[in-house]
Amino acid sequence: MIGNYIKIAWRNIKKQPFFTFLNTFGLAIGMSGALLISLYIYDELSFDEMFKDADRIHRINVDIKFGGRVNNLAEVSDPVAATLEKDFPQVEMTTRFRNRGGLLIRKNDATLNVKENITSYVDATFFDMFGLELLFGDSKTALNEPNTLILTRTAAEKHFGLEEAIGQTMLLNNTDTYVVTGVIDDFPMNSLLRNHSVLFTMAGYDDASLNNWGSNNFATFVKLVPTANPEDFERSLQSLFGNYIVPYAQAIMPGITEEQFIASGNYFNFSMINIKDIHLHSNRFPEMSANGSIQNVYILSFIALFLIILAAVNFMNLSTAHSLKRAKEVGIRKTLGSNKIELIIQFLTESGLISFISLVFAVLIAILAMPFFNELADKDISIPFANPVFWGVLLFSGLLLGLLSGIYPAFFMSRFIPVKVLKGSEQNGVGGGIVRNVLVVFQFAISIFLIVSTLVVFEQIKFIQNKDLGYQKERVLIINDVYAAGNQVQSFKNNVLQLAQVKSVSLSSYVPTPSSRRDNSFFEEGVTQQEKAIQMQQWNVDFDYVNTLDLEIIEGRDFNQQYSTDSLSIIINEATVAVLGVEPKEALGKRLTPNWGEENIRYYTVIGVVKDFHFRSLRNNIDALSLVIGSNSNSLIVKLEEGDFSNTLSQIEKKWKSVVPGQPFDYYFMEESFSDTYSTEKRLGSIFTIFSLLSILIACLGLFGLAAFNAEKRIKEIGVRKVLGASVGQIAYKLSVDFLKLVAIAIVIAVPLAWYAMNRWLEDFTYRIEISWWIFALAAFLAVLISILTVSFQSIKAAIVNPVKSLRTE
Amino acid sequence: MIKIKDLDKYYSTEELQTIALNKLSFEVKKGEFVAIMGPSGCGKSTLLNILGLLDDSDGGSFIFNGEEVINYNERKRANIRKHNIGFVFQSFNLIDQLTVFENVELPLIYTGVKKSDRKKKVHEVLEKMQIMHRRNHFPQQLSGGQQQRVAVARAVVNNPKLILADEPTGNLDSSNGNEVMDLLTELNNQGTTIIMVTHSEHDAKFTHRIIRMLDGHKVTENSLV
Repeated sequence: MIGNYIKIAWRNIKKQPFFTFLNTFGLAIGMSGALLISLYIYDELSFDEMFKDADRIHRINVDIKFGGRVNNLAEVSDPVAATLEKDFPQVEMTTRFRNRGGLLIRKNDATLNVKENITSYVDATFFDMFGLELLFGDSKTALNEPNTLILTRTAAEKHFGLEEAIGQTMLLNNTDTYVVTGVIDDFPMNSLLRNHSVLFTMAGYDDASLNNWGSNNFATFVKLVPTANPEDFERSLQSLFGNYIVPYAQAIMPGITEEQFIASGNYFNFSMINIKDIHLHSNRFPEMSANGSIQNVYILSFIALFLIILAAVNFMNLSTAHSLKRAKEVGIRKTLGSNKIELIIQFLTESGLISFISLVFAVLIAILAMPFFNELADKDISIPFANPVFWGVLLFSGLLLGLLSGIYPAFFMSRFIPVKVLKGSEQNGVGGGIVRNVLVVFQFAISIFLIVSTLVVFEQIKFIQNKDLGYQKERVLIINDVYAAGNQVQSFKNNVLQLAQVKSVSLSSYVPTPSSRRDNSFFEEGVTQQEKAIQMQQWNVDFDYVNTLDLEIIEGRDFNQQYSTDSLSIIINEATVAVLGVEPKEALGKRLTPNWGEENIRYYTVIGVVKDFHFRSLRNNIDALSLVIGSNSNSLIVKLEEGDFSNTLSQIEKKWKSVVPGQPFDYYFMEESFSDTYSTEKRLGSIFTIFSLLSILIACLGLFGLAAFNAEKRIKEIGVRKVLGASVGQIAYKLSVDFLKLVAIAIVIAVPLAWYAMNRWLEDFTYRIEISWWIFALAAFLAVLISILTVSFQSIKAAIVNPVKSLRTE
Repeated sequence: MIKIKDLDKYYSTEELQTIALNKLSFEVKKGEFVAIMGPSGCGKSTLLNILGLLDDSDGGSFIFNGEEVINYNERKRANIRKHNIGFVFQSFNLIDQLTVFENVELPLIYTGVKKSDRKKKVHEVLEKMQIMHRRNHFPQQLSGGQQQRVAVARAVVNNPKLILADEPTGNLDSSNGNEVMDLLTELNNQGTTIIMVTHSEHDAKFTHRIIRMLDGHKVTENSLV
C-alpha cells in the first residue's frame, strides 16, 4: 500500500510543477537557512568540549566592589592556584595563564622579527590539565625550565619548519633568549586557546610567584577530583577572602576589618565557571579570547525556528489552497470506500516526499552558501559529510517537518464530503479560508518583525560609527611596537613629523579604542579610607597627545614642555570630576596619588579637565580616566591631513626600516580598529538582513501561490465581471485587496512586538538610538509594496483572460 | 433490496429551507433496473446520494438489503457502500493520476483484496468491458466512451449488489451512450440491481420501471415490463 502511495505521490508532484516548485523551493530555503544556523549554533555550543575531563575543569572568577567601582574579573591573584591545591582536597590540579599579548620574536639567526599576536605564559601542568600532547617534545618536561617556550604547528612552520623547531633558540623583543622545547598542534577554532601561537613557561617568571593577593592577573583553571561536588567547592572558595585577602589588605591598611569592608557595601566574591560555559556565558574582564553570546545563540535559534515555521506555514497554505484540485479525487476515493485514515496517510506520504526532495535541495543550497555564511559569521564551519549521526538527524528532521507541515492539509482534505465535491462544483466543498488567512498574517508579521529588527540594528551601527567620540579617529595612523627602535624612537617620531601630510605625532601605548586596560586606585590628598579610592585609568602620554587626538580641554590647560613641573601634572576627564564631587573648575589644583601607602608617595596635580571621550565600547558609560606624562612608547600615533595616504605611508615605512632594519612595520588606522569593535553588531545586522530577505522570499512564494489559486477559484466571477464591463485594473484591484488587508493586519501585530524586542536589545548599549517612527513606516511600506508586486502579477494575469474561456464551461 | 418510506431531505440556509425530498416512498426489488426521471431540481440526484449512502436524510426509513441504515454513521455507511454498491457518474469521475488498471483496481484495494487476486479480477472486468488494451493509459488519453466504460468496470469489479448510475450517458454521444446502456443492461441481466437517474427517455426504455419525480416526491411509477 505504501508503495502505491509513493507512486501516486510522485505522479501528483510531476503533474503540478508550479505548485511543486513553490512548495519545494519554499521548504528548501527554510530548511537551508535553518541548517546553516543549526551548524553555527552547534559550533558555538561545542566550545572547549574537546578537552579531556572538560566537565571537571573550571575557571576561577572574582567580583570586586570597592571604592564605588565594580570589577567582574576573569583573572585572579598569582597565589590562588597554589593555595587551592594546598587547602582544598577537591582540587586535583591547577593551571594558570598570564596573557603576554603581541610581541616581536625571531629565530636566533634571523634578521627580521615576526609579530606573534596572541601569546601567554602557562604553568607546566598545562598538558595534564587539558589532556594535550605535543607533536614534538616531551610534555612532562617541556615547560619545567625557565626561558623555554612551545610553538604551535603554524608558528613552528613559519619560523623553522615543523620538525626543525625543537631545540632551536629564539630571540624575544631583541633581548631575551628562549629555547623551543615543544611543538603542539594548532588549537581548535572552537576553543578559548584558539589563535595562540606561543606559550611561554611560567618557570622563572617573577610575577608568577609574587604572592600578591592584591593584583589579579592570572587566568586560573582548576580540575576537580571526580568525586567533588562543584557547587560545594564553589561555595567554599569564599574562604579565600577571609583567610588570605583580608590579612593581605590589613598588612597594607592596618585597622581595616572584614566586617567594615562588607558593611561599607564592598565585596570580594569568588566564583567559578566550567570551561565549556565560558564561551557563551562569560563576559568578564579580560577574557582569553573573544567570546560569543548566548543571547545571539537564542536570537539565531529563533530566526531558524521562524524560517522553518514560515516554510511549514507556506506548505500548509499552498496545500490547502491547492486542495481544490484534489477535491474530486478525495470524493471519488471516499465514494469507493476509502476511509479518512487512508486518505491522511496518502497525503502525508506526498508531503513527506516533497519534504525529502526539498531536503536534498536544501543541502545543496547550504553547500553553495557555506563560504559566504562562514565569512559573514566569522566561522570555519563545514557540513559533516562523514558523520552518520548528522545525516540521521537531518533526514529525521526533514521528514518530521514534512509530516508536521502536511498534517493540517491532510486532515483538511480528508474531510471533504463526496456529495459536495463530485458534482463539479468543487468550490462548495472547499473551506479553510480563515485558517489560510491567519497563516498569511502570521508569515508577514514575522517578515515585518525581521525587517524592523534589521533596520534598527543598522541604525544603531550607523549611530555608533557616526557618534562624536570626543577624539579624532579619522585619518589617524597607529604604528605598533615602536619601542623596538630603542633610544631612536624620539628621533623616529621627529622624522615622521617632518613629512608634509603629517599634522601631529604622539608617542603612547594608550589609544582610545576599546581594549583591556585596568584601573588604578587613586587617592585624593588627605583621604585615606579605602572606600574613597578613585578607580581610574592612568594613561601615560607625551606632550603631543591631547593635540594629536584633538581632545578638548574644558578647564585649565594641556601639558606644556615649558613647565618642568608637568612631569607631575595630571589631566582628568569629566567622569573623574564627577567622582570627586566638585565642579570642573574646582578640580584644578587637587592633588592625587596612585601609590598611597607606599614609602615615597607621588602626588600629581590636576592642571586640566578634558572633555569626556569614549575609550570603551559604546555599550558602556565613560569611566574615570587620567593622563600623565610618562614614557610608554609602544605606539606612534600619527594624525594626517586629508588626501591620499599611500605615499606618506611608504615614506614612514622607509624611515622606520632605516631606523630599525629587521623589524616588521606594523600599522593600522584607528578608524578600522574602532570599526572592528562593533563587528559583532555588524555581523548581527548582516545576519538579520539575510534572514529577513529569506523570510520575505518564503512569504512571497506563499502569497504568489495563494494569489494564483485565488484567481483560479474566481475565474467564473472574473469572466462575468468582464462581460459586465469591469476593466483590467478594477478586476486586478478586486483580486488583490483581500491580501493587502491581511498584510495590514500583520503590520498592526508585528510593529508593537518589534518595538518591544528591539528596545530590549538596545538596552545593552549605554549610547543608543531612539527607535523612530519612520523605521516602522518603512517596514510597513516595504511589506505592502512587496505584497502588491507579488499579488498583482497573478491578479493582472487573471484579469486579462478572455471571458469566453472562463465562462465556456458554464 | 431497497425500501424507502417517507424519506425527507431539507437543505437549510440562514433564511431559507429548501425541501429536496418530501415523504418519498418506493421499493426496488433485487435484479430490477429502475430509472428515476424528473425535471432539474426535482431531487433525483439527492435521492441517488442517499441511496448510495453518500448522504443522510432528515427523516423516514431506508432499508437496504434487509438492514435499516437511516441512522448509520459514516464509517458504517462507507463499509456497506464499498462492499455492495458501485457508482457510475455522468462526468466519469476517474482519477487522472491513475492508469485505467489502477482506477479499476481502487475499489479492490479498499476492500482489502490481495494483490494477486486484484490483478486477476481487474483483468477479467477490463476484458469484459473491452478496454483491456488500454489498461496502462491515463484517463486523459481516452475518449469519453472509453472513460465511461472504465468507470463501469470500476463500478462492477467488486461484484456489487447494486449499481447507481447518475446520468451515465449525459456526456456521451448517442453511439457511445448506447454502448454504455448495453453494458448496463447486460449487467442487469446477470443479476445486478441498477438504479439510474436520467433525463433521457431513450435511455429510460432500457429499464424495467420508471419512477418520475417532481418537487421532491414521486409523481408516477410505470412498469415497462
